[in-house]
Amino acid sequence: MDPQVEMNRWKRLVVSDYWVLYLSIACFLVLFPFTPRLASIENIRNIFSNMLPLLVVAIGETIVLITGGIDLSVTSVIGLSSVIGASIMSSDQGLLAGNPAAAAAGVAGMILAGVFVGWLNGIAVTRLRMPPFIATLTSMMFFGGLAVWLTQSRPIYDLPARFIELGQGAWLWLPNSLAVAGVTAVFAHVLLSRSLLGRWIYAVGTNPRTSLISGVPVNRVVTFAYAASGGCAAVASVLYTARLETGSPVLGQRILLDVIGATVIGGTSLFGGKGNALWTVFGVSFICLIDNSLNMLGLSYFVVTMVKGGIILFAALVDAARSRILAG
Amino acid sequence: MNEDMLLEYEDIEKSFFGVRVLSKVSFALRKGHILGLVGENGAGKSTLVNILGGVISSDAGHIRFQGREYTAASPADAFRQGIGFIHQELNLFTNLDVAENIFIAGFPVRRIACIPWIDARAMRARAEELLGSVGLAIPCDTLVERLSQGERQLVEIAKALRLSARLIILDEPTTSLTARESERLFTLMKELQGRGISMIFISHNLGDVFRLCDDIVVLRDGLVVDAGPVERFSENRVISLMVGRSLDHYYPPRATVPDGEVLLEVSGLSHPGIVEDISLTLRRGEVLGVSGLMGAGRSELARILFGLDPYTRGEITVKGLRMPSGPPRAAIRSGMAFLTENRREEGLLMEASVADNIALVCLPSFTRTPSGLVDSASLKREVSGAASKLRIRSSSLDRQKVRTLSGGNQQKVVLAKWLLSGPSVFILDEPTRGIDVGAKHEIYKIINDLAGRGAGVLLISSEIEELMGMCDRILVMSAGEITACVERPEYDRERILRFALGRKPV
Amino acid sequence: MIRQGDRLLAFLLRNATAFLFVAAFLAFGVQAPAFLEPANLLNILLQSSSAAITATGMTFVLLAGGIDLSVGSIMFVSAALAGKVVLGGGSLALVIPIVLAVGIACGAINALFITRLRIQAFIATLAALYMWRGLGLWITRTRAMNLPESLLQVGTARPLGIPAPIFIFCAVLASAHLVLARTPVGRQIYAIGNDREAADKAGIASGRVIAIVYIISGLCAALGGLVSVAQLGAVSPTFGNQREFAAIAAAVLGGTSLFGGRGRVFPGTVLGAVLIQTVENGLVIINANPYVYPLIMSAIIFVAVFTDSARHARLSRLSRRYIRPWQAAARRVETANSGEEGKQ
Repeated sequence: MDPQVEMNRWKRLVVSDYWVLYLSIACFLVLFPFTPRLASIENIRNIFSNMLPLLVVAIGETIVLITGGIDLSVTSVIGLSSVIGASIMSSDQGLLAGNPAAAAAGVAGMILAGVFVGWLNGIAVTRLRMPPFIATLTSMMFFGGLAVWLTQSRPIYDLPARFIELGQGAWLWLPNSLAVAGVTAVFAHVLLSRSLLGRWIYAVGTNPRTSLISGVPVNRVVTFAYAASGGCAAVASVLYTARLETGSPVLGQRILLDVIGATVIGGTSLFGGKGNALWTVFGVSFICLIDNSLNMLGLSYFVVTMVKGGIILFAALVDAARSRILAG
Repeated sequence: MNEDMLLEYEDIEKSFFGVRVLSKVSFALRKGHILGLVGENGAGKSTLVNILGGVISSDAGHIRFQGREYTAASPADAFRQGIGFIHQELNLFTNLDVAENIFIAGFPVRRIACIPWIDARAMRARAEELLGSVGLAIPCDTLVERLSQGERQLVEIAKALRLSARLIILDEPTTSLTARESERLFTLMKELQGRGISMIFISHNLGDVFRLCDDIVVLRDGLVVDAGPVERFSENRVISLMVGRSLDHYYPPRATVPDGEVLLEVSGLSHPGIVEDISLTLRRGEVLGVSGLMGAGRSELARILFGLDPYTRGEITVKGLRMPSGPPRAAIRSGMAFLTENRREEGLLMEASVADNIALVCLPSFTRTPSGLVDSASLKREVSGAASKLRIRSSSLDRQKVRTLSGGNQQKVVLAKWLLSGPSVFILDEPTRGIDVGAKHEIYKIINDLAGRGAGVLLISSEIEELMGMCDRILVMSAGEITACVERPEYDRERILRFALGRKPV
Repeated sequence: MIRQGDRLLAFLLRNATAFLFVAAFLAFGVQAPAFLEPANLLNILLQSSSAAITATGMTFVLLAGGIDLSVGSIMFVSAALAGKVVLGGGSLALVIPIVLAVGIACGAINALFITRLRIQAFIATLAALYMWRGLGLWITRTRAMNLPESLLQVGTARPLGIPAPIFIFCAVLASAHLVLARTPVGRQIYAIGNDREAADKAGIASGRVIAIVYIISGLCAALGGLVSVAQLGAVSPTFGNQREFAAIAAAVLGGTSLFGGRGRVFPGTVLGAVLIQTVENGLVIINANPYVYPLIMSAIIFVAVFTDSARHARLSRLSRRYIRPWQAAARRVETANSGEEGKQ
């Protein structure tokens, strides 16, 4: 009766939880002979540090994808958040310049901004019944434009040391950024696998009609997912801004491709109802590995872009194949 | 191979998910005759014609059409072979006009510069001809969006005539028509018959059947119980054949008698176009049946009671508290449960595990409040308890996906889900549809048990016998209204069917 | 009885684009009379040619119920390839065929992924967006290409006395309109967008029709890119950026539904494209802060999409089957007559 038993080995591999991990290892082994530096400690640390903020955004995106939607506005949230935070914190022209609480207030402001934008997205999708991709695409344009307009396209400097510590510093041996990303991932994992809200998120993504009849507050769950995505994007913005030491409205402009690619290749289904934090971790590490190794091979930015586009296609194909296999 | 016979079914069989729907169905249709196909809901009428119309294929048996072996790979294929199918759900494109709808898959074209252009003049001429032949006097560039249901149906028939169909199937054509529109349709049918076109007419309106048809086929439980020229039958005879003197199914005896407390009270419930002036009461320990034919509004009523659809007038009171017009969460909180008629789309999360499905409604009560985390240990215990109590056969509650369960077990999963929430008013819409006999009996016992513990059950079913075996009272609905309330002493299959057949106003 | 407020709302929503036009002309005309001068109005038309062509192609896709997010990148890669060939010494006459061929090829690849491999349209075209842009950047080595004078002449030529861009845009528009209104494929596109299942049942070769719309979209994107390049004289690395968004916006503003089956190229999409260009032109003339532009654009698009979603939701509710048709019949016909724009 159990479908797992009947599948042949290849199919079983594709449907496995860890298939992206296997894929990453395979890629690593294939590329290693061409660039031995790939395996150097320094390089691994490099991959890792690129991974962390991306992971935070991807986790938020995963939650939205599980509900069957998509959030294309995350890049603008990162930029807007960065600008808002810097406007509060900056010792140069910030609202709380010089205030010891500036860093904390700045971070709070950033996260609030992200959650607010996410909430608006959620309303557009649930109440106004707009298709998620166009609603979040419009958001992306609007809030991205807003960030640029607020700063007249000029970055904001002089962020307080305490804030920069958050992204670049460490507590004992643990880098702060790793702690932030780790906490986010763990929190998301607990939310999705053990909480009521998490179960509701999966139910809504699997079948919203059944969920509604069974008493799940579908609109609230979906709105939460978008708000969470916005919030995660804001947290990532904290890391990116701290690393750059600048509040920039175009921060994060380039990562949409990576975010979508990572979540989809990790195994989160575009059809909804499937996905988890662990898969996204694997997906993000795969994308970063590809990015890093292709760069090391000397391939230019545009080739890497093309390859990533191809990866998204490949991931979508695998996703469709997985759905077909599991449907029997 | 009679020359006169346009269509012959020989021993056609069909099963869905292991449940036999058609068994050795055989009958014949002469050229230029109208065949009436009658039977209760679930008797197999739609399945029978869907095979002819290329929507599904048969498992065994042969069909001969126009003297040759017939198979249809798709609806378009059937159409090309000369069979037109007017479904209950019309397949028209509302954003196009009448002529375009008729010719959508075969426009008359003129090639200019190697590009096919629609020959508008030829299309218009032919469309007007076809519309004329069905008696529809509207300009052929009218958008389908603006047409009434009756007019749209005539367009469908015109479409069927485009390729000179020799056989037209009409599946419950009068359900959404006013009496005047029905009359127009019947006149057309007689006229088409005069032109040598045969028809299969499915309807629950026996009066219409007797008026129009030359032959009748009566189906019951997937079998042809009788077939022949209409003169051999009377309305009474047909009704008893439909209902049948089948073996009395064993229904578990009712142990309780409904006592005083009113759990659900509905008065004057109305929503224009859907239900009209519905009033009923449901008491503790009572199983109240709702009978009626498909399209009578029973499921629509259930959805309104549960808060899924709105209502404009009237009151719904559960245990003394007035119910607002939704959402379902409010209904659940006040103690209601609703098992819908399509478990695959609305009752189950097909891709989720059995355990996840059973837990879905009662999740909030297993959530530890400050943290929002689910107490999975005790939830798991409750879920397995429910699963074993209902005897759900599954290899692993946590890992087996509900999709792989049999129909009966799937239905039990939906029941278990609702039972865990401890409902006081349980609405069941066709709970035993598409389920094997063994599982059916188990479900009957569960329903009795529910009533025995003081809940009230609203049982909607198309099987009159099932309602008679299980219910204390039976309400009969027709066209959105309650036409009768039958008490236990007056239970009679034919009587109830008559109430269900009802009469429509002009 | 339809409530009066409901009717008013329906009227407002149906004519939203017209209102926005009037509003834009008033707002800009009042602040800067230069806006209303004929030379400027001609300028608006010239500037909107490229967008109108691209949006026309997008209309085909939207009508069939799909979406094409790769048009901006197709514009870019076809312009890049053409530019490369011309700069490499190829004759100017090669430009048009190359551009068209690239557009068709990209569209065909999109079609392959969507119809054969059954990948959802938006993810397939999103991936294509990145792939073609990457390809274009590789061709141009991420450097701006300045194209020869001869190409600019194409931009300033005046066949039949009409500026070339407008001429091409009219030609594309006329062809598109004819195809959609007068050919079997065109009507089938509307049918598929309205009800894909019914279309399959009726015997329409849906897969083939959908493939055709994506090829047309690719073709129009490439052509739009050519017209734009002919006016700019250069291909920068950001050429075509976010143009898919502008194309979708123009189509939706013009009444094309994101849900398929509804919309017209003329006057619809054309008006949408010209409206967008009018707003942009106006903002420049009144010396508005250039950073305000995306804000206004997204607000306009939001209104357009919201209108579309609201109308779609209303129509779905109305088309439910009624148990008591005689009670519902009058209501339904009345609403249908008051709400809809007529023949598509």
